[in-house]
Amino acid sequence: MIEWSESQQMIRDVVRRFMEEEVAPHVEALEHGDLPPYDILRKLYATFGMDEMARARFAKQIAREKRGDTERAEKGADGDLAAKADQAASTLIPIIELCRYCPGMVTAMGVSVGLAAGAILSKGTTEQKERFGLELLTLEKIGAWAITEPGSGSDAFGGMRASARREGDEFVLNGSKTFITNGPFADTTVFICKLEEPDVDVRDRKILNFVLDRGLPGFEQSGPLRKMGMHSSPTGELFLSDVRVGMDRLLGGEAALNKSGGGRESAKSTFQTERSGVAAMALGIVERCLELSVKYARERVQFGHPIGEYQLIQEKLARMEVARMNLQNLVFRTIELTAHGQTMTFAEASAMKLYAARAAVEVAMEAVQVYGGNGYMSEYVVEQLARDSKVLQIYAGTDEIQIRAIAKDLLAGG
Amino acid sequence: MKILVCLKQVPHQDARLDVNGDGTWIKEDGIKFEINSYDTYALEEALRIKDAGEAEVVVASIGPDRVTQALRTALGMGADRAVHVNDAACQGSDALGIAKTLAAIAKEESPDLILMGLMSDDGNASAVPPMVAELVGMPSATAVVATERSEGNIRVERELEGGAVEVVDVPTPCLLAVQSGLNQVRYASLKGIMAAKKKPLDVKTAADLGVADAVGTAGAKVKIEKIYQPLRGEGAEILSGSTDEIVSSLMNKIKELGLL
Ligand SMILES: Cc1cc2nc3c(=O)[nH]c(=O)nc-3n(C[C@H](O)[C@H](O)[C@H](O)COP(=O)(O)OP(=O)(O)OC[C@H]3O[C@@H](n4cnc5c(N)ncnc54)[C@H](O)[C@@H]3O)c2cc1C
Repeated sequence: MIEWSESQQMIRDVVRRFMEEEVAPHVEALEHGDLPPYDILRKLYATFGMDEMARARFAKQIAREKRGDTERAEKGADGDLAAKADQAASTLIPIIELCRYCPGMVTAMGVSVGLAAGAILSKGTTEQKERFGLELLTLEKIGAWAITEPGSGSDAFGGMRASARREGDEFVLNGSKTFITNGPFADTTVFICKLEEPDVDVRDRKILNFVLDRGLPGFEQSGPLRKMGMHSSPTGELFLSDVRVGMDRLLGGEAALNKSGGGRESAKSTFQTERSGVAAMALGIVERCLELSVKYARERVQFGHPIGEYQLIQEKLARMEVARMNLQNLVFRTIELTAHGQTMTFAEASAMKLYAARAAVEVAMEAVQVYGGNGYMSEYVVEQLARDSKVLQIYAGTDEIQIRAIAKDLLAGG
Repeated sequence: MKILVCLKQVPHQDARLDVNGDGTWIKEDGIKFEINSYDTYALEEALRIKDAGEAEVVVASIGPDRVTQALRTALGMGADRAVHVNDAACQGSDALGIAKTLAAIAKEESPDLILMGLMSDDGNASAVPPMVAELVGMPSATAVVATERSEGNIRVERELEGGAVEVVDVPTPCLLAVQSGLNQVRYASLKGIMAAKKKPLDVKTAADLGVADAVGTAGAKVKIEKIYQPLRGEGAEILSGSTDEIVSSLMNKIKELGLL
C-alpha cells in the first residue's frame, strides 16, 4: 500500500465532514465541560453503519464458533486484498479523524470496543460473547478494562493485588483499580485479578478476567479523576469489596482455571492491538498540528515577514512532515498486514508504539512553539493536542516498557 | 420507479480559487472538489423515495476523471447506478450544451422523475434544469422546498421572493430543481462506500449520446469573456486579522456609524 485508495479517501472525507459538523461544535463541552463522549460516539457509529458492521462481523464469528470452525473466515479462498485493506482502513480512519479534534474520544471508544469487548471476544465462551460482547461492540453499552492498580502499573501482573477467592461455584472478588478509562460510566467492566492460591507464590498465581455489571453489590465506580489531558475520556477508580460472582462471569469459564501460562499470554495479545491503534492516533494528532502550524506560519507576521520565512520555523515544519510521513507509512503497514491476515510481532508493535507516541508529543509541543503565546491559549487547539498526546507515552505501556520489549527481543535473537 | 439525479462536481467550498492564465475560468489543479451542495439535496430526496419503496436511483454527471469520485460518493450514499460523461470534447460547454447532454441521458433512461439542484455553487446560473425539462418535454418546477407524492402527481412547495411559498401540482414524469435545505442530507455509510466500487458506472462520450455538435467551446453559444476579482471600490475597506478581530472591528464600525 503506497497511498490511500479511492474508497479510503472517500471514507476519510465523509468521516471528516462528520467530525466538523458533529464533533467540532462540542469540543468545548467535551474538553472543558461535563459532556461525556458516548452519545457522540454512538452517533458516529449509527451514521456510518459501524454498529451494523460490528453486528454482522460478530454474527459471523459466533456462527463459525457454533459450527466448531476454528479457521478464520478471512483466510479463506476469497482473495480480494483491496477489499480487505479497505475494511482494515475503515476501522483506522475514524480513529485518525477523531484525533484531529478529540483524541480522548478515541481513548474512550478504543477501551470500550477494543479492550473490553476485545478481551471478551478473545477469552470468553460463546455464551459470554453473546451475553456481554455484542452490546459493547455496537457501543450500546460502554465497557472498561481494568488491570492497573495503585501499586501496579508497568509491572501489571507482578504487583497485582486484586484477587478472586473461590467458594464452591462462586468467586469473591476484592481489590481496587485506578486510571480506568470509562471507569465512571462503564456498564460492563472486565476486571483482571489473581486467583487466591495459597500454595503458590503471589507473583506466579493465575490471572483471571471477570465481567462485572454496573451496580453489582460491593462494586463501586468513582467519578472522573481530574487530569492533564484527554478530558473527553473519563478516567476513574474502581473498588471491589467482596463482590460475589458465579462461574458465568469468569471469562472462559471453568477452562480458564486450567489454562497454562496463567492467563498472562492472552493479556499480551490485548496489549498488541492497543499498540497498533496508537499509531493511528498519533497520525491524526500530527496531521492536524502540521496543518495548523503551516497555516499559522504563513499568516503570522513578525519583523515584517511571515514567520514561515524563518529557517528555525521551517525546521519545525519539516520535522513535523517527516513524522507525518513515517506515521502514515506505519498505518499503511498495519492495514496491509491486516489485509494479509498477519499480525506484527510483539517487538514490532512495541517499536511502532514507541515511535508514534514520541512523534506525536514532539510535533504537538513544537506546534505550540510555532504558535507562540497563542499556542499556549486554549482557543488555538494545539495546547489541547499537546496535553492529550503526552498520555500516548504512558498508557498502553510506557515508553520505557516498549524499549524494554524491543531490546529483550533483539537480545534474545541468535 | 426510476429516478435520475443529475449532479455536478464543483470546487470544494473551502478551496482557494485563483483565476487561470487566460482569465476564462479558475485554476483547477491542486484544489479539492465536492458534489455541488444543491445536488446533494436532490440526491437525498431521491434516496428517500428509494428508501420508502421501490425505486432505482441513477446518477449522472459530466466532467473529467475526478468526477468519478463524486459519482462513487453518490453510489456510496445509496444510488444504484452511475453514468459518467467523460469526454474532453465537453470541456467549455455552455448551459445548453450541458442540458442537451443530460437530456440525451434522460432520453436513454426514461426516468419517472428527474431531480437536480436549483443551481451550481460555482456557476450560479440556474439555467440547466429548465433547459433539460424543455428538451425532454417534461413539466418542471424550480426552487422546490417540499414535496408530496401521489399517483401521477407531485405537489411541490416552491420558495418565492420574500419568503412566500407557492404550491403547485406537477404531473409525473417531471423534473424538479430543488432548493438547499429541502432535507437533511445523509452521510455515506462506510459499508456503502466500500460497496460502491462494485456498482455499475457507465462511461460515455458526447458522440455516444449523439450530442457531439452541441458540446464544448465549439458548440457553445455563450462564451466566458473574462473572470476577475472585483476591484476595490471607492470607500470600501477590507478588514483583516483573525475571525474574532474582524468581527470586533466590524462591530465597532457599525456602532460608529450609529447603526445599532
Ligand atoms: C489517561 C489514562 C488512561 C488509562 N486507562 C487505563 C485503563 O483503561 N485500564 C487500565 O488498566 N489502565 C489504564 N491506565 C493505566 C496505564 O496503563 C498505566 O498508567 C501505565 O501502565 C503505567 O503504570 P504506572 O502509572 O503505574 O507507572 P509506573 O509503572 O509506576 O511507572 C513510573 C515510571 O517508571 C518507569 N518504569 C517502570 N518500570 C520500569 C522498568 N522496569 N524499567 C524502566 N523504567 C520503568 C515507567 O516507564 C514510568 O516512567 C491509564 C492511564 C492513563 C494516564
